[in-house]
Amino acid sequence: MKKILSLLLVVAMILSIMAACAPASKTSQEPTAAPGTGSSEEEPEIVDGRFTKTRKITVEVFDRSNDGGSPPENNFYTNFIKEGMLRDHNVEVEFVPVPRWTETDVLNNLLAAGDAPDICVTYSYPTIQAYANMGGVIDLAPLLEKYKPMLTNLWDLLGDENIYYDLDPSTGKLWAIEAIRAQVPRINTFVREDWLKKLNIPEPTTLEEFENMLYKFKENASTLLGADADKIVPFSLSFDVGWTASNLLISFVPDETTDEEFFIYGFDDRQLMWPGIKEGVRKLNEWYNAGLIWKDFYLYKEGDTTEGNMMKAGYVGSMMQNWDNPYRDGENGIHGGLQKVVGPEAAYIAIDPFPNNAGKYKKLIYSSTDRKVFFPSTNKEPLASLLYLDWISKLENRKFLQIGEEGVTHEVMPDGAIKIIAATGDKIMNSVNNLDYTITINGLDLGDPDLTLRSLALAYAGVDEKYIKRAYEYAMRDGFAPKNFNVGEIKSEAGMGQVLKEKRDILFAQAVTCKPEEFDAVWEAGYQEYLNAGGQAIIDERRAALEKFLGKN
Amino acid sequence: MVKTRKTRIGDLVVAFLCLLLILVCLLPMLNVLARSLSSTEALIRNEVLLWPKGLNFDAYKMVLDDSKYTWSLLWTAIITVIGTCLSMVMTTICAYPLTYDNLKGKRFINAMILFTMYFNAGTIPLYLLLKDLQLLNKPAVLVIPYCLSVYNMIIMRSFFYNIPDSLRESAEIDGAGPIRILVSIYLPLSTPVIATLSLFYAVGRWNGFSDALMFMNNKREYWPIQLLLYNILNNITSIEVATQEGYSKPGIADSLKAATVMFATVPILLVYPWLQKYFIAGVTLGSIKE
Amino acid sequence: MTTAQSKSVTGKKLKNFMNYMKRYWTLYLLLIPPVAYFIIFKYIPMTYIQIAFKKYSIVQSPWEMPWADNHGFEFFIKAFSNRDFRLALRNTIMLNFLDLAVGFPAPIILAILLNELPYPRFKRFTQTVAYMPHFLSWIIISGMALQLFAPTTGLVNIVLTRMGLEPIPFLNDPAHWVWTYVFLGVWQSVGWNAIIYLAAITGINPELYEAASIDGAGRFRKIWHITLPGLRPTIITLLILSLGRILGSEFDRPYALSNNMVKDVSNVISTYVYAYGIKGLQFSLTTAVGIFQSVVCVIFLFAANALAKKFGERGIW
Repeated sequence: MKKILSLLLVVAMILSIMAACAPASKTSQEPTAAPGTGSSEEEPEIVDGRFTKTRKITVEVFDRSNDGGSPPENNFYTNFIKEGMLRDHNVEVEFVPVPRWTETDVLNNLLAAGDAPDICVTYSYPTIQAYANMGGVIDLAPLLEKYKPMLTNLWDLLGDENIYYDLDPSTGKLWAIEAIRAQVPRINTFVREDWLKKLNIPEPTTLEEFENMLYKFKENASTLLGADADKIVPFSLSFDVGWTASNLLISFVPDETTDEEFFIYGFDDRQLMWPGIKEGVRKLNEWYNAGLIWKDFYLYKEGDTTEGNMMKAGYVGSMMQNWDNPYRDGENGIHGGLQKVVGPEAAYIAIDPFPNNAGKYKKLIYSSTDRKVFFPSTNKEPLASLLYLDWISKLENRKFLQIGEEGVTHEVMPDGAIKIIAATGDKIMNSVNNLDYTITINGLDLGDPDLTLRSLALAYAGVDEKYIKRAYEYAMRDGFAPKNFNVGEIKSEAGMGQVLKEKRDILFAQAVTCKPEEFDAVWEAGYQEYLNAGGQAIIDERRAALEKFLGKN
Repeated sequence: MVKTRKTRIGDLVVAFLCLLLILVCLLPMLNVLARSLSSTEALIRNEVLLWPKGLNFDAYKMVLDDSKYTWSLLWTAIITVIGTCLSMVMTTICAYPLTYDNLKGKRFINAMILFTMYFNAGTIPLYLLLKDLQLLNKPAVLVIPYCLSVYNMIIMRSFFYNIPDSLRESAEIDGAGPIRILVSIYLPLSTPVIATLSLFYAVGRWNGFSDALMFMNNKREYWPIQLLLYNILNNITSIEVATQEGYSKPGIADSLKAATVMFATVPILLVYPWLQKYFIAGVTLGSIKE
Repeated sequence: MTTAQSKSVTGKKLKNFMNYMKRYWTLYLLLIPPVAYFIIFKYIPMTYIQIAFKKYSIVQSPWEMPWADNHGFEFFIKAFSNRDFRLALRNTIMLNFLDLAVGFPAPIILAILLNELPYPRFKRFTQTVAYMPHFLSWIIISGMALQLFAPTTGLVNIVLTRMGLEPIPFLNDPAHWVWTYVFLGVWQSVGWNAIIYLAAITGINPELYEAASIDGAGRFRKIWHITLPGLRPTIITLLILSLGRILGSEFDRPYALSNNMVKDVSNVISTYVYAYGIKGLQFSLTTAVGIFQSVVCVIFLFAANALAKKFGERGIW
């Protein structure tokens, strides 16, 4: 009889497992119903841009959990958007907050459960490609063609280039629209202005002069830092070598390199495979072994404040960073901290000392793309969603979102330039210029390029204008972004992003820190590993796809 | 009892070793405490070791002023207490019947439970299940899905095994049913393990945040303190976000970082000393032996 | 057997069963909530495990997904043919084994040590302090480790160089890193893990110690003959459970402590899954690796359990 009991339990288990199938397949019924087409059978009626029946859409918004921030899904700006959308298009908008740094994981869950917002935003195109391959994304190409006349603002802002940037030429499918990046300067080289003055060194304009300057910093450590002489760091590097040495490395890339070559070897986002990079890293290796580079750079990971603190404490002579990074964030920033700890004469200025083999100061700038906007296949209101994108791209709407109310979040200068004021409470901007809401644009755009530039220079609290202007000029000088060839999906790239990125960082770290005589061996070994792990396959596929695209065979 | 010289030397050696242990464990905490009370300049210059430099309470003021921290602390305490009680009840009623060797179906149930300790399918299926059960974004989702830990249950059952069968048998002869035996014999004798497991569950609930991250995404007011702090500490825009967006924020002050760590850790640290009185039940056990 | 006799046998069986149920029905009652819990929250989601054998699609339920190649073993093969995975496997086994060898005895020794302390206040204080490191997240601990052990700016190395000695590459040389990893792990968990042993020690009859003293036993004899045997059931149980985690994937500690110079030893299964499976959006691969880990762990569990039983101990099942 005990057997009956055990049997009953087993049956109960099996029944419950079978019961599990029903709900599981139920929730997935909806997405599989109509992937790719999106719209329901009945065409939504629309008069003068307004729907006759109110439609509802949900939009993803990043939640940054700012100190003192407002709830991203419910504040002054969301109300502005909601009122505007209801008034202009009769569409109710609801915002779904997603934590900024875990956004991929949370988005995964939402997609799997069929709960994803109608409009999703991400920086990772491979993620979108992966979802699309599973059937989880709506093809935008037919929709855009059909509704183009209604989306003038979107086209005005983004143009064909950004809208069709990710169009797959062989399948004709478009999974995402690229937002536009308004300011594209990327990286600058910074050096201590007061140290140059103290040691009477002119601003370096060549690699040799820069190197001599580093040696001079090291030799004169006691003059510059007194008792802290042993803490001096002539040149600071971070664990992300490709980023914090970018301008130097790019200067070793031959000027004659063609756009095609840039593309074929362009998978890595720190340009590991570009010609010439190896020699740039060799130079870093030389500097490291001469004691000119921060010895422990590879130990400290993302988010660690040690490097920043060293800069604020005044130990660092030079570094490469985001074009305006030291000047951001007023008191809490590098410039602010430096002034507090060292004194008012201490400052970092931008310099441009790395010409390439043709004498041009070529450096990378951002391409004009930014975030990718896509519609999961659970989106039942594609037209309403497109109208949302159009509405948010209209100049007066996005301008308001970017600068807010006069007197509260900005003031107008005598020459018309806009100066942003940090607000508190409900009208606080959780992201720079509310970029979390202006999902089709990143960066200030007031309509007039000159006005925009003048306003940008005012955005740095406590920093003299001249530093910003200089930083902008240098970061843009001879700047280039490699040409985009839209060859469609490169299958061998799927899922390789993180893996190859880690291998690249290991290669850079080891190549910089090894002994000079071992450099070639270490580089070869690490580079081979990169290729074997998938790098070679990507190069081959890119080359083949490019040749097909260009018609050569 | 007179102590021999050998014993006294031995005692001193033991005391010395314990002192070393205290230093090794306490000094890092003191470092965090000192950082939370130091000025930004001192932290930038990396001058703080064990004693605050430029003493100020700004970081704590900021934390306490912001009601979302204090509310989250209270809320976390609430779900910790509720969760621990629920978990202890579940663990006990699961462990106790499994101590009966002649329980029919025991092997099967044992196997079934043990199996779940090793095979689990990850977050997505749990997410889908919770969605179907309508538990997402509701407070209950913070206490129910992980309320019973197989590991802890095995430990409790192990302790139950140590209680002599003779006690149970004599109670049965007196006519007591299993539940009565559980309540009047096993529980009073198990205070050390109950205290231990309560601590385990409490700390697990207090420190855990990845479940809230996935299942309590929308309701910020129900976030446990560790999730709140994780998000705030991550507000240091990492290089990845900085390179994507083109802006980077140097992040919140180091002292605030340290203060939030203290804020989240100290409350749960105080639970153990309070529980220590339950660790002397050995006396009771000994006296029952006939 | 005559029908009369067989009738009475079945009758007897039924009567025995009724008696059994009358005595023990409450036990089954107690078991209902836990069993229901396991079925609902563990077994129902478990149907998802089959995605390890299927091609994952975010819009389909696991029953609808198409089967993977190679009779469903595509992702297992993919994992094993990957050099990074094999390296991760080797590292996981090595690090877990060292953790066990060093980290398993440590809390036992600590508990016994504390038990020998005759000053009650001191003892309580030590207990409370010893388990504090457990509460620090690995991100914080790695920050502290860097402050202490960095090659040029770490406090320890600064002291060493001042004394004229060579700095020790605690964190940037693979061999040294392994030991730093293990010892930081022990530091973080020893106080916490000792709690259970301390609880077990309270269950030992104090009269045994008195009797031993009277017999003239010294400190070490008492520990060997009373304390350790008293702890034996707990030790065996926890040892079996620990062995059953030999391929376990702790993520926080290796992720927080590693850096680009030691990746050869710091890449473990969990970081492999993070890079390939999670960031690479390959869910089937993630689940496949998880199943592999689980199967190996269960094998170890059974082996350890059987071994314990052979030595006369009560196993876990």
